[in-house]
Parts: sequence; structure tokens; C-alpha cells
Amino acid sequence: MKVLNKNKLPAVFDKLAQQSELFVPLQKKEQSGFYSWKSFDQASDQLALDLLNVYLPPKQVLLPQTEKMYSFRQEEGGVAISEVYEESQPRVIFGLRACDLQAINCLDQAFLTRGFVDEFYKARRDNTTIVASACYKPGANCFCSSMGVDPLEPAGADAIIRDTGSEFFIWEARTPAGEELSRQLAEFLEEKELPLPQSQAFERQVDMEGVAEKLSQVFSSPLWEELSDACQTCGICTYLCPSCYCFDIQVKNQGEAGYRFRCWDSCMYGEYTMMAGGHNPRASATERFRNRFLHKLEFFNERYGMPLCTGCGRCIIACPAGIDISKIITAAKEADWSA
Amino acid sequence: MDITSKIREIATRLLQNGEVDLFMAWEKGDLPFQSKPFFARRVEDVERIIFDEYSIHNLSNALLKFRDRQEKIGLVVKGCDSRGVVRLLEDGQIERDRLYIVGVCCPGMKDPLQAMRDYSGFNRNPEAAPLAAKCENCIQPNPVIYDELLGEEQPPRVQGERFARVRELEQLSPDERYRFFEDIFSRCIRCYACRQACVACNCRTCIFDETKPQWVGRETSISDNMMYHLVRASHMAGRCIECGECERVCPVNIPLMLINQKLIKDVDNFFGPYEAGMQYVEGAKPPLSVYQENDPDDFI
Amino acid sequence: MHNCNCENPLVPQIVEIVKIIDETPDVKTFHVRNENGVPFDVRPGQLAMVSLLPVGEGMFSVSWQEEKEHLQFAIRRVGLMTDELHSVGVGHKIGVRGPYGNGFPVEACQGKDMLFIAGGIGLAPLRSFIKYCLKHRSDYGKIQVLYGARSYADLCFKDELFDLWPKEKDTEVFTTLDRPEEGWDGHVGLIPSYLEELNPAPEGKVAVICGPPIMIKFALKSLEKMGYNDEQVITTLEMRMKCGIGKCGRCNIGSEYICLDGPVFNLAQLRKLPPEW
Repeated sequence: MKVLNKNKLPAVFDKLAQQSELFVPLQKKEQSGFYSWKSFDQASDQLALDLLNVYLPPKQVLLPQTEKMYSFRQEEGGVAISEVYEESQPRVIFGLRACDLQAINCLDQAFLTRGFVDEFYKARRDNTTIVASACYKPGANCFCSSMGVDPLEPAGADAIIRDTGSEFFIWEARTPAGEELSRQLAEFLEEKELPLPQSQAFERQVDMEGVAEKLSQVFSSPLWEELSDACQTCGICTYLCPSCYCFDIQVKNQGEAGYRFRCWDSCMYGEYTMMAGGHNPRASATERFRNRFLHKLEFFNERYGMPLCTGCGRCIIACPAGIDISKIITAAKEADWSA
Repeated sequence: MDITSKIREIATRLLQNGEVDLFMAWEKGDLPFQSKPFFARRVEDVERIIFDEYSIHNLSNALLKFRDRQEKIGLVVKGCDSRGVVRLLEDGQIERDRLYIVGVCCPGMKDPLQAMRDYSGFNRNPEAAPLAAKCENCIQPNPVIYDELLGEEQPPRVQGERFARVRELEQLSPDERYRFFEDIFSRCIRCYACRQACVACNCRTCIFDETKPQWVGRETSISDNMMYHLVRASHMAGRCIECGECERVCPVNIPLMLINQKLIKDVDNFFGPYEAGMQYVEGAKPPLSVYQENDPDDFI
Repeated sequence: MHNCNCENPLVPQIVEIVKIIDETPDVKTFHVRNENGVPFDVRPGQLAMVSLLPVGEGMFSVSWQEEKEHLQFAIRRVGLMTDELHSVGVGHKIGVRGPYGNGFPVEACQGKDMLFIAGGIGLAPLRSFIKYCLKHRSDYGKIQVLYGARSYADLCFKDELFDLWPKEKDTEVFTTLDRPEEGWDGHVGLIPSYLEELNPAPEGKVAVICGPPIMIKFALKSLEKMGYNDEQVITTLEMRMKCGIGKCGRCNIGSEYICLDGPVFNLAQLRKLPPEW
């Protein structure tokens, strides 16, 4: 098998960064996420491949928090569009987990299928190569295996690295794009036989069988109010979630010129569905809370055949109110919804 | 009787008599450090109520969900939370006669969010802090408004100079200070959790949701991020009750209380002595909500 | 699939406003065209995103497409973008992208008697269907239009309502105002109650409704009382929209997006969805 020495990673990244924009998991002082390798600061940053995962999800690479769409210019007699920003330069995301990769598979469904293709997402996605990191030690808040994700075989990866626990990663190319990376990294890859690490069991498991079906029957249940009591609609869950993708479209003007951009938005905010005339179909926190979980566990499933939650556990960690999606899944089957 | 049992007794009595329709307190999650807000609606719910060292959440913020409704609400508040109730009363967001306030003198809380982050596997070097960061500067652990008071009176927690961190920053040159702020605000992802967790942020249409005009853009550029935080902090001037929830919930660890404390210090200096939400006097308004002829203006 | 022949569905085309008609104190109809005539072909009931590029975008139903000539949008002044739009003049360049949405089932309704029920600006999306039926008159049976607004000044498309449409073959127009008004000797009362008064028979009929959500909900109840079944009743809905292509997430009712799977739904489809509109 091909293996990669961890000590060579900075050189590996420098090499990859020559051909593409490379995104790796980094701990940058107080926060962690997927950042461009170019931004690595020896003095303050640390590579986070050894951590279970990072807080900010890799969706940022394909669906940036803020993304310029097109610029325009006001001119004599009218207005004209100057440039459309479809960013198709090559990118590599290195070291994301199966849960985050499955989330990208969900984003692919949302942005690339059903009538229209989101060209901005497509330009990025078509030119992004993904090296996934197999996960042998699920964390206390992880439940990806319950959501149809195999942490050892990240679905859709171009290449997979496996941390043997020694100073080596096992390197497996899976697609032609992955083979291309193997070629680029030939000087760093060695031939060696190493034992695969033992994978550990999940502490947290839920049974998704029949959940979507059950949730479709309990829309008007008063239990939603109690489930949403502690929720402050702060939106942290939607921002840290690797598969949440709702966005806003806004405009920025600079004199005679300007540009339209899109940015992350959250279905938890009060003005998400607020109409100009004042009507708001989801005016209360309970309605928005219910909509979010139904979207995650029922609506997306109905539409695209997979749940929109991949069991990464970030929302469970970061929710200030202690809301836990795995508990909502369990409640779908076990709670008394007529109460 | 310990505090949990006393609270349960009160809650049972209030729910049974119909004095309240809803009683806000905490319940336990699966893990020892998980305490989370819980609203009891029936007497049977009361056995889930607890109060422990992880009961850090500011329940006065949850009152905003009910401001347009009719329910009578009982709630448990610590020192800072009770100042949050005064904030809402002063801002006209809820009526006093709808509330039954159970005050608890607070011994200082631990942060369940920090504990969860340490437990999650996402943090490299978990450090169990003895107290939540926000509790270390506490000037008011004892509730300032209540219908019943539980627990022993606690001394303020703040050691040494209260605004030491602020003074450190004030000592920096403008360039150094700008770089400091640029650094912390560049990581803001504009999740607005700070706004949502804040009890003083109670505008029906938030300024950042206004469209005519749009005051601050939604890009996560340095300029839009800075404007967001500076404008929000300015709206908190003279109104922030120092509960520290904004900083606690921030997913990217921005030291928001630093800015709020600067404004608390300045408001106290210029318009004070003044601490927001320390007592409820009907008709009282925060200093920046009232114009007086002799208001200082040499900083304009 | 969709009939949007654009390269990037989120980027608009630039069109020119060629005519503006003042319908009511807060509604104007804008006629737009680009140098090739219409920017795109539209089915009745479809939507388009209209934008003042430096200000913002809004989703509107296309009130009518004058073949090869121009698109018409009847737009009410209600928010930031529409406010500014109402202050620009003929010749101004704006952005338009689309068409979006499923449109009315014009083929499936052939041979039926049509009952159109609209309130206020709700007549704007229905107008494209009404004019389509009138254009292909022999394909449709009797046409009845029931329309109401708060006051006389708030009635849209007055010349079509009072002059042109009643003159068409086998076409009736019933108008009502919410409150009595000096100079108005027509019907006074809300649409659902007028509907029950007129009591049009359900046999062989298709009812198409649009208006404020509260009006739609009451009118649906009335139609049910009058014996209309769920397949006979169609409505076109509205939600806050940003992308228009079913990606940004906000215009959903359950698992359906109004911009993509709607805005036209029949009552049978609507009953399967959560009552959240």
C-alpha cells in the first residue's frame, strides 16, 4: 500500500498548493475550520488533521460565507453587467471526514439537480478534488453511522487517507482525480505494508427507520412548542452545520458600480420568511424550529432521497440551549406527539 | 433544603394554584455538565427541574418569546439574569404583574458549552476552568428583583480592578488597537448568535434587518463585520447588563465583553454613576435614552 | 425541466421599461422589452425576478406576455425595491431573469368553464390566465371573473374589468368592494361571501384563486361548502423569494418550493403539504 509520512505534510501541501488552492483543517488561535494552506501562520496556527474534526465546516470552500456573484456598472442610459464571478480555478480539500463529505453530497443534490443548476456552485464543485480522512475514533457527539454514512469509506472521495497511529497515513486514490493527486505526490509516497487501525464503536446511535414518515404526520403537534422552548433561534446550528445551505442575496454599491453577492442565511432568523407586505408564515420561534428539523429529517429526504443531517455532532456541541438533533430523531419515534 | 428542592416546591405551588402558566428553570441533560433551560407547564414536569453549577443560561432572554402572549410566567434568575428582567421592564417589553421571580444568589457558574467543547474531541487541550469566564468579573451575584429569594448572599466576584482588560486595550496606540480589532472581527461569521442571546437586543425589527435603508451590509468583510459589532455595542451602551451570554455563545470566541465593558466604563464615567438594570424603578430610563441639558458633550 | 434558456439562472438580462400604467395609488404595470423583443417566453402563471440592479430583486408573476413585444408586470409598491421601482420612468433599464415556476395548467383546463377569484393585487397573476383563455376563446367554456379590492381606487386593470372583458363572448365579471363608497353602486362585501351569494355551480368548472393568504383560505372554505372538489380548485401562492430556482431554501411549503414546484398548486396537492403559508 502507498503511505505518506506525516512529517512531509508541509512539503506535500506546498506541492499541492502550486497547482490548486488547497484547503486543510487548521486550528487558528481561538477557532478551527478549513482554511487555505497559503494562510498558514507558523507562529499561531496548527494543523488539525489529528483532531476529530474542526468547528467551521468545509462547505465554506464550495459555498463561501460571502460570495460575489456579478458586478454591474451604471452608465449612460442604463446599467450593464460587467462580470460574472464563476470561480472555476482548481481546489483541493484535504482531510475532511466522511460526515462532512456526505454533507457535500447533500449540497450537490440541492445545487446541481432539480430543474436548475447553480452555476456558481458548479464551477467550484467541478474543479474541487477531495481527499477524505477515514475516521476510526468517533467522538461522543458523533452519529454519522446512524445517518447512512460509513466513516471508514467516505462516499464520493477522490482519495482517502487513513491515520495508522504511527507517523504514516495510508494513501488510497479512488477516482481518476485521486490518481492525478497520487502522481503529483509521487515523490512523497512510499510503499509499505501497515496494519489498519482498529475502529471504535459509536457511543451515540439513533434509529432513522421510519423517522421521515413519522415526522410527516406530526406537523400540528403541540409537542413542537415544548421541544423548541429553550431555542433562542440564534442560528449557530445552521452556520456550523456542514450541510445547511440556505443563503441570502444582497447588493453592495460603490458609487456608480456595485455587485450582487450571496451570503449564508439561517431559517432560524425572524425575518427569513418575512414578506415585504408584513405577512410572515413562520413568525414564531416554534414554527421556525419545526421547519428546520422537518427540513433536515423529512423534507430533504422526500425530495432528494437522503437526510440533510450527517451526524457530525457540531450543533449538539455548540447549541447554547442544549438542543440535540439526535434526541429529536428519537422523539420522532418514541415521544407522545398528541400530548 | 437545597436550592433545587426549594425551587421545585415553589414551582409546584405556583402551577397548582394557577399563579403561573409556565415556570422557567433548568433540567439535566445526559452528561453531568449538561444543564439546559426547561419550561415546566404542568405539575408533573416539576420533577425535571434542577438548579446546579451549570445553570448558567440567562432565562430572562426567554421572556421575549412570550412578550406578545398572555401567559403568567415564573422564572428562576441569578444576579445577572435578574438585571435582565429589569432591562425588559425598563424597555417596556413585558409587564411586571405577569412575572413571578424566584431569585437565587449565585455562587458562580461553570460553562456547559465550554465543558461540551472540551468533551467533544474538537479541542486539542481541554482545560477545565473552575468558573465560566463571564462569572469571574461578576459585580452582582445577588438578584436585584424578586418575589422570593433563595440561597445565601454572595460577595461580588471581581478581583482587582474591574476594567483591567479594558485599560490594557486603552493603553495601546490607535494602530495597535485597530490591528487587535481587525484580528478578532475578521473571524466573525455573522451568525448573529450574540444578538439572539442578548436580552437587551429586543427590538422587534432589528436595525440589521432593516432594508430602508440597509444600515450594515451582510458581507463578512472586515468593514461590515466591524460596523455590525460597533453598532450593536453602541446600542448596548448604558443598557448592557453584563450577563456575558454574547461572548459565551459565540462560536468563534470573539471577546465581545471587552467592548461592552469599555462602554459600561464610559457610560459610568460620563453619565454616571450608573450601572444598567440594578433596580427597577417604574419610568426609569437608561442614560442614553434621556436627554438632559447638562449631558457631557466634550467627546463629540 | 424549465424553459429558462439562460446560461446562469442567477444572473439577469438587462431590459428597458417601455411603458408604465398607473393602475392604483400603489400598483403600476411595467411593460419591459430588450432589443430582441421579449427577453424570454413565458407560460401563463410563471414568475420572473425583476431587479433594480443597485437596489434589489423581487419575484413577480408575469401579468401577460404580449407576443414578441414585451412582458408585463403589475407590481405593488410595498418594500425597498418596489418603492424605488415606482419612482423610475420609461426608458429606465432594469434586470429581469426567468421565467420560473410551473405556470397554470392551461392544457388540462381546456373545455372547462373557468371561475377566476381574485383579491387586490391577486388579479395580476390570474390576468395572464384570463387573457390566455380569451386569446384561445374556443378552447374554454364560460368565463367568470370575481374580483374584489378594498376600494374603487384599489381595483387593478379597470379598463379590462369594466370595458374589455365583459364584452367578450360568454364572459362575466363580478366586482365587489370591501366597504361602501360614494359613487359605487356595485356589490359591497368581502369576496368569500360574494362568492357564496353568486353560488356558481361546480359542474365542469375549474376555480382559480389568488389574493392575500387570509382571503385564499376563506375562499377555499367557501368553495368546499359549495361542492367543489380538490382537483377543481387551483391557487397560486406567494412567499419571500431570493434565488427563484429552488436553492436558497426560504420559499418552501414542506418539501415543495413555491418558486420551482409552484407557485401554482391545486387543492389536492396543497392539502398534502403543511399548512404553513
